[in-house]
Amino acid sequence: MRKAVKALVEVDIKHNRGVLKNKETIDWDRPHGVSVEFLIDGRIQLNGEGGLLTYLTGTALVNPHITLSYKLPELGVQKLERLTKEIPEIPQATEPHPHTMKLGEFIAHSHLFGRVKTSAWLKKGFSRVSDASIAELKKAGLKPALFEKNVDALSEAEFRELFSAIQNTPLMAPSTRSVLAIGEASLSKAIQRLGEVDFFSVVSRKPTIADFKPVQVEVAIARLLNRAVGDDAETPVQVLRFANRVPLQFDKAACAIVKAIESVNWRAYQLAQPRGGLPSGPYVMAVSVVSPFIKFKNASKETIDASEELVEEIRRALIQAGQRLSRHIRREVKANDLEEKLRHIEQFCPILVDGLCRITNAPEARKKRAEDGLVKILGRDAREAQTELKEADAIVTAAIAKSNKNKKPDDDEGGDSDGSENGKQKKSKSGAREKAKPAAVRASSDDDDSDGGGQTSFNL
Amino acid sequence: MNKDQTIPKMSRELCSRLLSDLEKAKRPVLLATKCALDNARYDHKVGYLQPGNKKVRTELNVSSVKKMSRAIFMLEILLRNLDTGSVNTKRELYYISKGEIKHNPKLKPLDFGDQDESDATIDFICEMLEIYREEVNCYANDRGGQTYSQHLVVTETLPDGEKAVIDLSKLGTSPFQPKNRPQNLKLTTKKKVDFALIVESEGTANTLVANGFTKRHNAIVIGAQGVPSNAVRGWAKLIQDQLRTPMFFFGDLDAYTMQNIYRTLKAGSAASLIRNSDYSAPDVHFLGVLPEDIKKYDLNDYPVKENDAQEVRALKKADDALKNDPFFQDKRNKGCSEILRWLLKNKRRCEQQAYFTVDPKDPTMPEKIIVDKIKKGQYV
Repeated sequence: MRKAVKALVEVDIKHNRGVLKNKETIDWDRPHGVSVEFLIDGRIQLNGEGGLLTYLTGTALVNPHITLSYKLPELGVQKLERLTKEIPEIPQATEPHPHTMKLGEFIAHSHLFGRVKTSAWLKKGFSRVSDASIAELKKAGLKPALFEKNVDALSEAEFRELFSAIQNTPLMAPSTRSVLAIGEASLSKAIQRLGEVDFFSVVSRKPTIADFKPVQVEVAIARLLNRAVGDDAETPVQVLRFANRVPLQFDKAACAIVKAIESVNWRAYQLAQPRGGLPSGPYVMAVSVVSPFIKFKNASKETIDASEELVEEIRRALIQAGQRLSRHIRREVKANDLEEKLRHIEQFCPILVDGLCRITNAPEARKKRAEDGLVKILGRDAREAQTELKEADAIVTAAIAKSNKNKKPDDDEGGDSDGSENGKQKKSKSGAREKAKPAAVRASSDDDDSDGGGQTSFNL
Repeated sequence: MNKDQTIPKMSRELCSRLLSDLEKAKRPVLLATKCALDNARYDHKVGYLQPGNKKVRTELNVSSVKKMSRAIFMLEILLRNLDTGSVNTKRELYYISKGEIKHNPKLKPLDFGDQDESDATIDFICEMLEIYREEVNCYANDRGGQTYSQHLVVTETLPDGEKAVIDLSKLGTSPFQPKNRPQNLKLTTKKKVDFALIVESEGTANTLVANGFTKRHNAIVIGAQGVPSNAVRGWAKLIQDQLRTPMFFFGDLDAYTMQNIYRTLKAGSAASLIRNSDYSAPDVHFLGVLPEDIKKYDLNDYPVKENDAQEVRALKKADDALKNDPFFQDKRNKGCSEILRWLLKNKRRCEQQAYFTVDPKDPTMPEKIIVDKIKKGQYV
């Protein structure tokens, strides 16, 4: 039997740390994990943006590896099984990226290293600085002697010169390992927890630097078949915000995520959007921002500060997801068009010919010939529409094929397996069109936005 | 051949052509006159906006089959009206079409969602056949045009051929209301009429008459009641043609009045290009309020409210009109375009009722100014 530590934790608010009391060692039947019990005195609000259920759904979405079991008044015991057994890798501590620093921090950082050569300090003390980068710096006009000097002997002017040269030199983006991303594959699975999903698109951006801090943005947009609250087409989309996997539920309007969503022209992706507002429709937009240093707007960490750079980074992720989504919506619109056209032919042909014949007192034979002629004309139109629809289908199929080809081996747990699990076909309301089998679409990074990461979208 | 016979014939020919095309599996094409400013021509010798050569082409395809079916359906109703002599408004026709569909479920796909849709169908038929809706017995409500005179006598030919004679001097303080189809009216005067005055505000026209304008002057006073309806436009044309009397328009000094009211009265509108010949009075002059009147009579004017959407839109439209409207571009109408330029530059407006500020104790002051301006030729 493994041993575990049991203790009472008190929060030392003054120093912002936990204090362990009554520490004892006990037997436990689990290989690892944490069990926490606590009492909170408060009022229970289940529904709404600030509700407990939204918090739990959000937590389940961004943590596909957790099994969530909870008991709530009226709802009884609920259990959400884990979707993946892969334990998220805890990011290893990495050296800071030079582009994430300001001059003061840069100089202070040098004090930790004592008497070492500047070149050695740059390579050891920072991530993504290599010999090649130093050569670049020399090419940019820095004297080679500067790199040979000991770092503790550098004057402020020299630091300033070095700092500004580094800022102007392109370096590799911070390592993916420095942030704990959810990943497209996991997010694609987790999105099924939101309800009956019609189709969705997922985008994981590459880690980048915004406001001198490494940050990674992930976006999932899903269209739900039965949205729980307000399935009216004019109801704004449901926005789920996450900062380092923690759901943010309050002060929505000021948040960088909401500002970014509002800044995108969703009409271009066939979503309704009132001017300057959130788009509307039965969609859920989940945006996760992961960073070692998230700048919150307030001490209660309810809202991510809407800096220009961060909003732009989230906006790019949203645009990529929107582009994916719009392909599916366009295909639907095309299919509806075709149905409409076919219906038109059946409905109006006889009425038009009847009317013309009544006004002209035409004989029955003429009427028959005109009806045949009209069916021929409109049939040609319908065939054209059908061809257009086929072409649209072919584009989607080609994208699916391309994605399967490009798929990385470690993504196996992701899209595909998920797709086949849910390989049911649904009929549209009108009944005339059937959706394609679920399929994962992973576009290569040059698909929509060259500096972006890969994307996944599924049509269920 | 009169129009009542021409229209059914034209319609039958059109339908027969459509039917022949269909028999040959050829797409029928409907051509309608484009009723828009970019298809309007203005010739000062003619005096009103005429249609150019542009046509709106509707080819039968899956998207237009509904529009065409609706047009043929409505045409049948209108032809029946012509045949029986029934008269309807657009709203009534909307309900008649609803009734037809109710009694014949096969026609359900044609059903109009609202009156706008049936109105558009009627307009499409008129543009296609190049006729006015009045010619297919579809009349608008007789709004505006209330007329006062001590000398005018109107003889109306009724549908049954009888004649009704209306002596306006016998109506007391009640005005005469002209009909939408002024072609059936014959005008005579008991004494020579010196001028006809069309007043933008119906209320002000009534005030002038109540204060004795028509008793003191051999004049016809007409209230336009804002943007002139077909009845007012046709009526003004009739007075111009039959009485050959000088005509003056008296209204506010603002961009809306100049473009939407006065221009429509004098030269017709772009939306009604095909009927401007019968619904415009090219001889009418703009009496005021003129920009120079403000200084001359010390009138109360005020700046255009920057936050009033309608006024701002009117000013923007005035700018467009100076660039694109052939009426304002014609040299003969320089006076009108000068007023528009003045309005754009100064962004001020002055209402017709401002004449009452000149001498508040004298209720006939506006009358005096109007007559004085006519005598001195102070109009555009």
